[in-house]
Amino acid sequence: MNRPPATLAGVLARVPGVAWILGLLVIGFSFFSRDFLSGPNIHNIGLQSVILLILALPQTMIIMTEGVDIAAGAVLTLASVVLAWVLVHGGSLPLALAASLATGMMFGLANGMLVALLKMPPFVVTLGTLGVAQGLALIVTDGQSIVVSSDALQAIYNGEIAGLPLPLAIGVAVYAVSHGLLYHTRFGTYVFALGGNPEALKLAGIRADAYLIAVYVLGGLMAGLAALILTARMSSGHPTSAIGMEFDAIAAVVVGGTSFERGKGWLFGTLLGVVAVGVLRNGLNLLTIPSSAQVACIGLLVIVAMLVDGLKGRR
Amino acid sequence: MGEATVPLLELRGISKNFPGVKALDDVSFAVYPGEVHMLIGENGAGKSSLMKVLCGAYTADAGQFFSNGEPVAIRSPADARKFGIAVIFQELSLVPYLNIAQNIFLGREFRARISTRIDLPGFIDHARMHREARKILDLLGLELSTRTLVHELGVAQQQMVEIAKALSQHARILVMDEPTAALSERETERLFAMIRQLQAEGVAIIYISHRMAEVFAMGDRVTVLRDGRKVGSRLPGEATPDELVRMMVGRSVDMTYARRFGNCDGEVILDVKDLHSENGVHGVSLNVRRGEIVGLSGLVGAGRTEVARAIFGADKVTAGEIRLFGQPHQGSPDQAVKAGIALIPENRKAEGLALIRTVCDNLVLPGMRKVFPSRIYKAARARKIARDLIERLRISTPSPFRAVQVLSGGNQQKVVIGKWLSSESRFFIVDEPTRGIDVGAKAEIFALIDQLVQQGAGVLMISSELSEIVHVCDRAYVMRDGRIAGHLAREELSEENILKLGMHHE
Amino acid sequence: MNFALSRPGRFIGALTADLRTVGYRLAAALLICVILTVASDAFLTANNLLNVLRQASLLFLLASGLTLVIVTAGLDLSVGANIGLSACIAASVMKLTGSALLGAASGVGVGLCIGVANGLLVALMRMPPFIATYGMLWVVHGITFWYMAGTTIYGFPAGFRALGSGYFLGVPIPVYLMFVFLTLGAFFAQRTTYGQEIYAIGANRESARLSGVPIARRLILVYMVSGAMAGLASLVFLARMNSAEGDIGEAFTLPAIAAVLIGGTSLFGGVGTVSGTLVGALILTLVLNGMNLLTLDASWQPLVTGIIVILAVYLDTLTRKRAEARN
Repeated sequence: MNRPPATLAGVLARVPGVAWILGLLVIGFSFFSRDFLSGPNIHNIGLQSVILLILALPQTMIIMTEGVDIAAGAVLTLASVVLAWVLVHGGSLPLALAASLATGMMFGLANGMLVALLKMPPFVVTLGTLGVAQGLALIVTDGQSIVVSSDALQAIYNGEIAGLPLPLAIGVAVYAVSHGLLYHTRFGTYVFALGGNPEALKLAGIRADAYLIAVYVLGGLMAGLAALILTARMSSGHPTSAIGMEFDAIAAVVVGGTSFERGKGWLFGTLLGVVAVGVLRNGLNLLTIPSSAQVACIGLLVIVAMLVDGLKGRR
Repeated sequence: MGEATVPLLELRGISKNFPGVKALDDVSFAVYPGEVHMLIGENGAGKSSLMKVLCGAYTADAGQFFSNGEPVAIRSPADARKFGIAVIFQELSLVPYLNIAQNIFLGREFRARISTRIDLPGFIDHARMHREARKILDLLGLELSTRTLVHELGVAQQQMVEIAKALSQHARILVMDEPTAALSERETERLFAMIRQLQAEGVAIIYISHRMAEVFAMGDRVTVLRDGRKVGSRLPGEATPDELVRMMVGRSVDMTYARRFGNCDGEVILDVKDLHSENGVHGVSLNVRRGEIVGLSGLVGAGRTEVARAIFGADKVTAGEIRLFGQPHQGSPDQAVKAGIALIPENRKAEGLALIRTVCDNLVLPGMRKVFPSRIYKAARARKIARDLIERLRISTPSPFRAVQVLSGGNQQKVVIGKWLSSESRFFIVDEPTRGIDVGAKAEIFALIDQLVQQGAGVLMISSELSEIVHVCDRAYVMRDGRIAGHLAREELSEENILKLGMHHE
Repeated sequence: MNFALSRPGRFIGALTADLRTVGYRLAAALLICVILTVASDAFLTANNLLNVLRQASLLFLLASGLTLVIVTAGLDLSVGANIGLSACIAASVMKLTGSALLGAASGVGVGLCIGVANGLLVALMRMPPFIATYGMLWVVHGITFWYMAGTTIYGFPAGFRALGSGYFLGVPIPVYLMFVFLTLGAFFAQRTTYGQEIYAIGANRESARLSGVPIARRLILVYMVSGAMAGLASLVFLARMNSAEGDIGEAFTLPAIAAVLIGGTSLFGGVGTVSGTLVGALILTLVLNGMNLLTLDASWQPLVTGIIVILAVYLDTLTRKRAEARN
């Protein structure tokens, strides 16, 4: 398998970047703000990070195939809007969820087909679908929020399973599924190959295109799933709710150690990266730093993470 | 080998056309069980097209295949595998961040099972995969862990994994494209032993080679290709190397370049002391004088290319001293070039040329800052320099303004070497100068290098072909495990001595 | 040896190939003009044509630096955000000091700094350009928004406004700037060693490195140029709009990329010219102008531009793959 050695020394040696940064952030913020290490705040960080995690995990795989999906945020927004719309028009929660998943899948399919079949650079393709998704979200909502009051939805957000808040449980489940997919299935093996040596797949007679499309479809599907939690949290579908979240997701993936070349990736690193980004945003919020400036800080975080990795001699 | 038996594979009248060129023209030959069938020919003779047709990557435009006497069609990699054909290309098809077992079984992973009757489609049985991979690696005598990620392996080991991959597919016909190109003598011996074992089991090997010694050592039959056509087949016992070369080239050519050796006591151009680099150089000291060609030999993985890269600045130097023309030197490649060092890299297409740029552009690039110190680029002057170089080096190209990718391997290599001549380089590091180049062009390359030292430059030449080192170098260092194992002066220079130093058994 | 393997590709000789690709595109531009003349009475008026030229000039100024970046097989997605911040800072400084010169210098300076930052990320930290500049886009955007805090700055000295709205001999000033920078740009790309090295980097970075080209320095250079040109373009834009807000410039990134791609520069690197970008800017502006004249809603423009970019990239991909397959 491709996980790093499970010894403590092995983990520390492999990911000094994320681990050290995370540690520093936690220590720093708890110093600056008394509320930081409080129970409710940690609960808050966890819940907010789940959505990002669900976006960042498939993004990890997409980046491993030497691609990227910058439409993820816009697709998530659109899916959230669709979910809210179905609920408001009398649909049941399962139906709304199905619609949300379908929306995500459609965009994932479009992205995948343009990248795999027409061989176009992924950032251009997803830049295009970003525009389409954003445009559609604005059209459907007319620029306004779609407020939802649904007990079923609230149950999702406030519910618990085995003592864990339901959204967190969903996050754990998604992580487990992603881990299984990447490290225990043929699909996962081929994700490594798509980035590392797609020719090898073709020579082995595998339909590489199909698997590449599948990776993007997975990304869209996860965006649709994340919409459930997003809409539940905001009790509404808003046309700009998650615009730009893909930036956080990509930052988390990069900070976590996944590389843009040759099919190198690490899922657990992405998890740590997501926590790091979540901690950063939360801490900055507590220090009342506005969102626009927070983005600058996340950019800085990515640079610091890459610097630290560079210093440790990893490339 | 049993001529009376049915051939494992037979080709009759195979042709393959591309716009403007006949890659294969009515090629027919047969391969029998247990034979090593050598396929030789110059670059462009059709060997790689034939390989691609055999493995199903190309579909033949005309002709028929016969597997065990039955007519069959090979139109896809799956077809080729069905008939037991496995091809091992020079460009390896391994996935860097997957481990050895995963690479061997790429596309044919074992399904995980919950119980003896229920299996999980899509999920992989890792334990079984590693067990099977272990078996094959043991067969090849490779002591690597199956969990090693392929990107951590050296080129020679990666090639072994490729061979393991082919074997795991129960191939009956293995097609190998210059398998020993990146292997040391010891690894070559191991490969040959494995080949003999496979022969004993009835596996046939189609072996493409540029090395005469191998052809006569291992071949049961030799087929010569030229310009897409089959010129003829011979039994090695009935032919001479010269005859084969004549068939390949159409004229008689000296196989070994005869160099006139003189006294080399010029000033020391390069003096390296205790060099360490972050990429596998562990304390190397050597020197090169003006007017001499110094060889750097050793098994693959001994660190020769790494030394070259460290001196040139392509890899980071962590300790030690480099003196160039008496002055201390260090730094990145652009500083090395400024100081007068030239590097002819191992991989000319990936590292030595900009394929889509013109011959002129490529020839002028390294010398640009010396030729145009004001940084104003004058196209006319550049054209003149390019034309002069093309004439001087006899580079065969329709025009200086064609993209360099249309040139043959030998001419591309001349561009790679020639581009340094306008930059007043005084010291050349040449890494595998004749790899993948046909016999005729090899001699020209050596003549070129000889010219360089005659004009007062110094050359450090890395080569895996022992005969090249012996016949062309004034003296040689032999490397082992990132260090210099020994030095051989002119009188001591022989293939045997090089091997002895390079291998060193405790 | 058989050299008849390929007919002459696009790379036959610097000059003749250049003329050929630019020539085709000029012809296309003329064709569009003809179509528009037929389709709308308002097209062939002096007013409209000058407007098209002025807008194309602005686009060209922005896209000219971007061309060099794309030639190195890189990308600068931050040019739009760059315009925003540069314009806002320039406006601020002008308001504060009353000096158009200081304002202009700071505008270009900010653009340059953003370019340097991009260059450092790409060259020294080895970040893939589209991620580095994509991140920079957000960071710069965030800074601009934070800095402007929702306010608008307006009212600039007449001398400065002439830069964007002024005329000289009946021709808008930006058009003169366009020709100046066309000459400078073409000279830099084709007639300096820097330009040659930039093309070499785009064609094969490792080979260029091993040929002694100082990769990091040249990459930082091209991103600097792209940033500085964005700064310059922001001044022209500011002069024309006579006001600065937090969200200006966003809409420029896609058209700039479109102009470069239409002009024949390949995303894969090593190929492309500044003059091509000029014709590309012209073609795109003509198309958008045509849409305006035919009273299509302005919100269609990003969509059309996006489709043009996708088509251009598709063609580029096809051409490159075909050339590689031939090899």
